Amino acid sequence: MHGMTRYFLRRLLLIPPTFLCITFLVYAALRLVPGGPIEQAEFQIRLAMMEEGGGGGLMDRSGELQIPESAMRELQRYYRLDRSIPVGYLHWLGGILRLDFGRSYVHGEPVLGVLAARLPVSLYFGLIGYLAAWVLCIPLGVLKAVRHRSAFDTWTSVLVFLGHAVPGFVACLLLLVLFGGGSWWDLVPLGGFRSEGWEQLGPAARALDQLRHTWVPVAGYLVGGFAAMTMLQKNSLLENLGADYVRTAFAKGLSEGRVIFVHALRNSLIPVFANIGNALGLLFAGSFLIEKTCNIPGMGLLGYEAVIQRDYPVILGTLVFLVLIRLAGNILSDAAWALLDPRVRFEG
Amino acid sequence: MKRLARFRRIRRGWWAFLGLTSLFVLSLFLELLVNRRPLFISYDGRWACPAAADWVNGLPLLGGVPDFQKRSDFGQAGGSEVDYRRFARTAADPGLLGAEIAAKEGELAELSRGLAAAPPPGQSADRIELQDYADLRGSLDEVRTELKELRLSRTAFQDGRARILLPLYPYSPDEHLLSLPGRPPHPPSREHPLGTDDAGKDVLAQLVYGFRVAMAFGLTVVAFSFLLGILAGAVMGYFGGWTDILLQRVVEIGASVPFLFTIMVIASVAQPGFFQLCLLLIVLHGWLGITHYVRGEFYREKAKDYVQAAVAIGASDLSIMLRHILPNALVPVVTLAPFAVGGTIGLLVSLDYLGLGLPVGTPSWGALLDQGVRHVRSHPRLILIPSAALALTLLAVALIGEAVREAFDPKPFSRLR
Repeated sequence: MHGMTRYFLRRLLLIPPTFLCITFLVYAALRLVPGGPIEQAEFQIRLAMMEEGGGGGLMDRSGELQIPESAMRELQRYYRLDRSIPVGYLHWLGGILRLDFGRSYVHGEPVLGVLAARLPVSLYFGLIGYLAAWVLCIPLGVLKAVRHRSAFDTWTSVLVFLGHAVPGFVACLLLLVLFGGGSWWDLVPLGGFRSEGWEQLGPAARALDQLRHTWVPVAGYLVGGFAAMTMLQKNSLLENLGADYVRTAFAKGLSEGRVIFVHALRNSLIPVFANIGNALGLLFAGSFLIEKTCNIPGMGLLGYEAVIQRDYPVILGTLVFLVLIRLAGNILSDAAWALLDPRVRFEG
Repeated sequence: MKRLARFRRIRRGWWAFLGLTSLFVLSLFLELLVNRRPLFISYDGRWACPAAADWVNGLPLLGGVPDFQKRSDFGQAGGSEVDYRRFARTAADPGLLGAEIAAKEGELAELSRGLAAAPPPGQSADRIELQDYADLRGSLDEVRTELKELRLSRTAFQDGRARILLPLYPYSPDEHLLSLPGRPPHPPSREHPLGTDDAGKDVLAQLVYGFRVAMAFGLTVVAFSFLLGILAGAVMGYFGGWTDILLQRVVEIGASVPFLFTIMVIASVAQPGFFQLCLLLIVLHGWLGITHYVRGEFYREKAKDYVQAAVAIGASDLSIMLRHILPNALVPVVTLAPFAVGGTIGLLVSLDYLGLGLPVGTPSWGALLDQGVRHVRSHPRLILIPSAALALTLLAVALIGEAVREAFDPKPFSRLR
């Protein structure tokens, strides 16, 4: 176990430099480029003055906008942009360590609260999508492996390729076109988490409404993860079926069903289980594309809107969240491998 | 060569490869095929090849094809761009100018009638009234000149001194076709088989130009990513030791970047062009994946006898890496490339869909999808068409990838039963 401990220790030690590199890169990128909140505030003041027509004494003789020095400093302090990039970054980092992510420019609330409010929505869709992928992909993968090179295998392969090739959000779009009440069926709403006035509905109607809003995004997640998982299951089972212990089991005279489903399947599930680390991000943070397409107010949509609106604290908060999930996912995957497969040894 | 033969024997992959390659090569000449500007236009001794100019003058080191000249040079009023399609219609049927000439003649007659009521010069009248008549005379002269030009151009068209050759599909992807009846998005018609989008731009033209952009983007990003990745992997595997450890940490850090979000953030503030976006993807993400494989191959190959022999005869590190080991380590590179191209195309479409990809106005499938969302109920084709194009392209890429993998790296699964 010595090498293993060292391996995981090294993974843990790598977290801080990774975290610092990424956050500093993005922090610097945000600060270096114009178009931030101050410029936007300036723009808004200018717009307001154009409507008023006068200028309220802020215009100089050439008609240029002159925001008083003191007001500018006030603005910079308010947006926490009054320090140089390295110093500002250190202050931001200090805040993170005290769990102070700052206030959202747009929502006016602490970033942590905004993130926490969106998390359950993403988690809801992510969890259902992940479970659905399990229910669908494992049987399909097993079936494909058992009937390797049959017509069934070939045709589902084409389907799997298509699913792998087409991004999940495109699948959502197609479903919305088909079932969103346009030219064909009117079965699902055009997006959103729940209908308006959901709170007033009875329990059955609530569940039904939630379901109607659920299945398009879930199908999108499924298309995204479905192909990779099916192929993983198929190839893993195929590999096991070629292994010596399966030969032995057949030699002992066990039935084919018993060999496949009791001996080989169990071992073939290991890589599929270990894949959970990669799914962690989707599970918690949702997908920008699918949440935008289906207008689901989760983490993904929050992050996307923050990018569009230049809401720096929320951008950085989302980034921190994503990086931590990713790092945790990597370690979780390795740990799952080590736990499930006693042969796996990670060298330090 | 055996591998190539094996690849050709996998029929669906081979056909997908032929189809996609020929489409891409064809798309390199799109300016000559799908363009509102003509291949050749001549009028009264002057001539130009605007479409060829679009194509050639955009390439580095080439140029000098006669290009666009003013509208007035081509028998049309005004100094802006010639309406080439109208020019072509008139060239085919100079009689079309007859109606216009008749209208102008009518205008002239009316103006002359108005002037007939004017008091003879010298007779005193209201100053304002005098001014009105002066204005009338001015417009009369104007209409007369226009009429003269129109008649001249009619003779030019009739004598065959005006020629034009339009491309196969005479519409450009950035052209707003607002003169079509009704409001955009226009439904499909004979002239526009796929209709227009909600800015009145032809969907078919955008689709084919978008194909070229997507393919070029995917190929560029993957080519340079792999170049960088092979270099890094080779250095890691060949030299080992501290170089390896250090670079491996860099790769590990890079792989932990939530890179879609990072690219979104950087793209939103920096608004990159085509090559900047390529560079961003390459540096941030593209080169990482391949390093593992190349590093492993180099580690394995390095221990073999032929490398020892090369060292013994005094070959330099660089020559051993490039000429001896690399050809033997290329299998994972070749098998992964098609999938990487497909992934990159999907990524570009996603970024464009979010509005955080290539600059606004670049023909792209993602942008088409984005504006299609606003018309999900009324114009489903705006989503269906780009989706189908994307799915077909990516499917072809996946088929190629699968065939390449089988040809280069066959994994026979043996099983007892």
